[in-house]
Amino acid sequence: MSRRPHHFILELVLVALCIALAWIAPGFFSAENALNVLRNISMQGIIALGMTMVIVAGEIDLSVGSAVAFAGCWTAYLTGTFAGVLAWPPAVAVPVAITVAVITGFLLGSFTGFIRMRFRVPSFITTLALMTGLSGAAELITNGFPLTPFPEWYNMLGGGYLAGIPVPALMLLCVFLASSFLMNHTVFGRSVYAVGGNAEAARLSGVPVGRTKTAVLAITAALAAVAGVLQSSEIMSGTATTAKGWELDIIAAVIIGGTSLSGGSGSVRGTMVGVMFLGVIINGMTLLNVNEYWQHVVRGILILTAVLLNRAPATQGTFREAAA
Amino acid sequence: MTTLELRNISRVFPGTVALQDFSARWEGGKIHALIGRNGAGKSTLVNILTGALAPTAGTVLLNGNPCTFRSPADARRAGIAAVYQELSLLPDLDVIENVHLGRLPVRKGILPGRIDWKAAERDTRDLLDRLRISLPLHTPVRHLSVAQQQLVEIAKAMGSSPGVLLCDEPTSALSHQEAQCVFALLKTLAIDGALVIYITHRLQEIRSLADTVTALRDGVSNGTIPSSAATPERMVTMMFGEDVRFSRMIDHPPLPSPVLEVRGLTRLPAFSDVSFSLHAGEVIGIAGLMGSGRTELLRTLAGADPPDAGEVVINGRVCVPRSPAQMIRCGMVMTPENRKDHGLLTLMSTRANMTLPSLDRLASHAVTSRRREQQVVARMQQELDIALADPEAPVSALSGGNQQKVVLGKWLATDPRVMLLDEPTRGIDIKAKAQMFQTILRLSRQGIGLLVVSSELEELLLLCHRLLFMQHGRITGSADAGSMRLETLLARCMESS
Repeated sequence: MSRRPHHFILELVLVALCIALAWIAPGFFSAENALNVLRNISMQGIIALGMTMVIVAGEIDLSVGSAVAFAGCWTAYLTGTFAGVLAWPPAVAVPVAITVAVITGFLLGSFTGFIRMRFRVPSFITTLALMTGLSGAAELITNGFPLTPFPEWYNMLGGGYLAGIPVPALMLLCVFLASSFLMNHTVFGRSVYAVGGNAEAARLSGVPVGRTKTAVLAITAALAAVAGVLQSSEIMSGTATTAKGWELDIIAAVIIGGTSLSGGSGSVRGTMVGVMFLGVIINGMTLLNVNEYWQHVVRGILILTAVLLNRAPATQGTFREAAA
Repeated sequence: MTTLELRNISRVFPGTVALQDFSARWEGGKIHALIGRNGAGKSTLVNILTGALAPTAGTVLLNGNPCTFRSPADARRAGIAAVYQELSLLPDLDVIENVHLGRLPVRKGILPGRIDWKAAERDTRDLLDRLRISLPLHTPVRHLSVAQQQLVEIAKAMGSSPGVLLCDEPTSALSHQEAQCVFALLKTLAIDGALVIYITHRLQEIRSLADTVTALRDGVSNGTIPSSAATPERMVTMMFGEDVRFSRMIDHPPLPSPVLEVRGLTRLPAFSDVSFSLHAGEVIGIAGLMGSGRTELLRTLAGADPPDAGEVVINGRVCVPRSPAQMIRCGMVMTPENRKDHGLLTLMSTRANMTLPSLDRLASHAVTSRRREQQVVARMQQELDIALADPEAPVSALSGGNQQKVVLGKWLATDPRVMLLDEPTRGIDIKAKAQMFQTILRLSRQGIGLLVVSSELEELLLLCHRLLFMQHGRITGSADAGSMRLETLLARCMESS
C-alpha cells in the first residue's frame, strides 16, 4: 500500500514503450488506435482486476477462461429459451438472461470458496476442475455450434460506443474504480490483504477468513461472467471455444502488475498498468507486423522480466538475537 | 573412555557475553546434567559443541585432543551428536528411512545407486538392538507417539556411534511417564560407554538420571557437583545465586468484581477441567512448564481452538469460545507466544497491523478512515513508547520489542477487559522488558484483568497477584504471589505430581 520508487518502474517503462512505438510503429499514435487497444484489453482487464483480489487473498482462479465461454453460451441459451420457447420479448429476455448468467458465475465462485474453506481443497484444484467442467458444459449447452439468438441491439454492449469510447472500456473503468475503492478504502479490502498475508494471524485478529476468501472468489467469477456477456455481445453468439487460455494471460497481467503469487501484496492499480502494458505490446507488435509466434515468445520474456523488476527489494536478513 | 574437556570457553555476541570463561571436564559412561535458567548460556554451549557456533576464546578437547569444529558436520565426524527438543524427523517416512536420512545404503553392481533396503533394515534392527529399544520399523513416524519419536531421534543420532550425545531438553514435550523410556535409553547409552550431556528444566529428573550436575548462571559456570548432593535448594541456588530477592512491582489490590470466570474448560489432550476466576485489575500468572497445557489454555480462551467442554463467563455474559472474532467482541484478547507467525502480519504496515482488530469500529459504513487510524497509531505510539519512524513501513522492520508493543497496541485499541499474554517478554531486550512490566501494571490499574504465561518464573513473582500452578493439563493449585519465594515456586513447578 505504501508507494515506493520501484513501484513506478512499470509505469515508466510503459510510457517509454508508448513513446518508442509512436516513433516506429505506423498508426500507433492515433485516437483510433488508442480506443482499439482499450477495447482489446477491457474484457481480460475486467477479470484481471478481480483476479488481483483473489491472488492477494492467497488464492487462484484457473477457471476464468472457461467461465467466459460458459457465461456467453449460458446467456445465449437462456435468451433463446426465454425468447423462443416462452415467447418473451427480447427486451425482457436478454436482461433476465444476463442477470441469471452473472448470478450463476457468482454462485460458482462461492462454490469454490465453500470447497476451499469447508474441505480445505486448494482453489487451484477446484478451479482446475471447473476449468474443464465449464468448458464441457459450454459445449453441451451449444451442442458444439454457436448459438445466435441475440437481437441486433445486443451488439451495443460488446461492440458499441458511448461518447466515442467503447462500452467494454467504460465497464473496465467502472470495475477499476470500484475494485480500487474496495481494496484501498474498505474494511473488506484490508481483510483481503490480511488473509493473503497470513491467514492464521488474520483469524486470530478477528478477520473473517472464510467469508473474505469466498467473497473474492465469487466476485471474480461474477466478473468473468460479465466479461463472457460482453464477449458474446461482441461476437453476437454464444460460442464454446472462445476465450481459451485467457486465465494464463490474465494471471500474467496481474503478475506483471506487481502482485505477488504468494499472496498478501499487490494492487489493482498495478494490474491496470500490467493489462495496458500487455495490450500496448501486442498492439505495437501487430502494427509492426511481427510474426504471431514471436509475439508469444516476447510475452513470455516480458512476464519474467517484469517479475524480476517488480521484485521487492530483498528483505535484509533479520539479525537474530543471541540465542543463549 | 571418551572425555570431553572445555577450557575457558567464551562466546561474545554484539552487546552480550553469552558464555564467559567456561571450563568443565566430563567423562564417558556417565550422564552429565547441565542446568540454568533461560538465557544462562546453555544453548550457546550446545551450539559451540555441535559446531554451529565458534567460541570467541577457549579450547574444546575431545579425548585430550584439541579440536575446532567449522560446521555441525565437522562435529558429527568427530563423534559429537545432538538431540533437540524440536524433532527433526520427516513425519511421512518410516523409522528406517528417518534413521538413515541422507545416508541410505546403496547397492553396487550393474545398476549402481539403487537403495539397498535390506541392508538398511538390517542396520536399523542392529541399531535398535544395540540401544535395547523396539520400534515398528515400517510405520510412518507420524503414527508413533511423541515419546517414540524422540527415541527415533536419539537412535538417528546414535546411528554413527558418536562418543558424545548432547540432549537439549529432549523430554520437555513429554509427560513424566513418557519421559521414563527416554531416560532408560540414555542410561543404556551411558552404560555402553557414551558421554551424555543432558540439559533440562526439570530439576526433579536429575537425581535419578544424572551422575553430575553443572550449573550455568549468566554465562558463567557455577560449579559441578555429584548428583547425590544436588538437593532442589542447592540447584536453585546454583542457578540463581545465593541471594534471590525481587522487589515486587505490583502494589494495588484487585477490584472485587470478577471479569472472567472459567468453568470446567477442557480441550483434550492439552488440558482438562480448568476452572478459575480473574478479577478486574488482577494479574494472574500461570506457572507451569512448557507442555503443561498453558499455551493451549490461553489459545482456547482466546477462541483460537474450540474447547471440548466448559464455558467462560466474561463480564457476566456466559459464552463458549468459538472464534477469535467472538472473543474479541466479548473483550478478551491474546498476545500470542509466536509473534511473527500469529501476532503480526509481517507484510503489512504498522498502521494496518495496529488497527486490524478494531478496523470495524474505526470505519464508518465499512469505509476505512485513514485519519482515525492514524490517531490510534499516534495514541498507542505515545502510550507504549514505540520507536516508530514510519507507520506506513512494513511492521517487520521494527525491533522485537517494538513489534511486541505493536501487538499490545492493536489489542488495546479494541478496549479489552481481559488480556491473555503468552510469553510477553520473549525475544525482547531488557529495556523493552522493563517497559512491558510497566505497561502490564498500568493496564491492571486501569481495571483490565490479565492472565500471564511466562517461562521466566521470577517475572511472574514480580508482576502477579496470584499464581495458578499448571501441570499435565490441570490446575494443581494456586498461591498468593506476594508471599512466595522463588525457591519454593521453582521447587513447586519442577516437582512432578
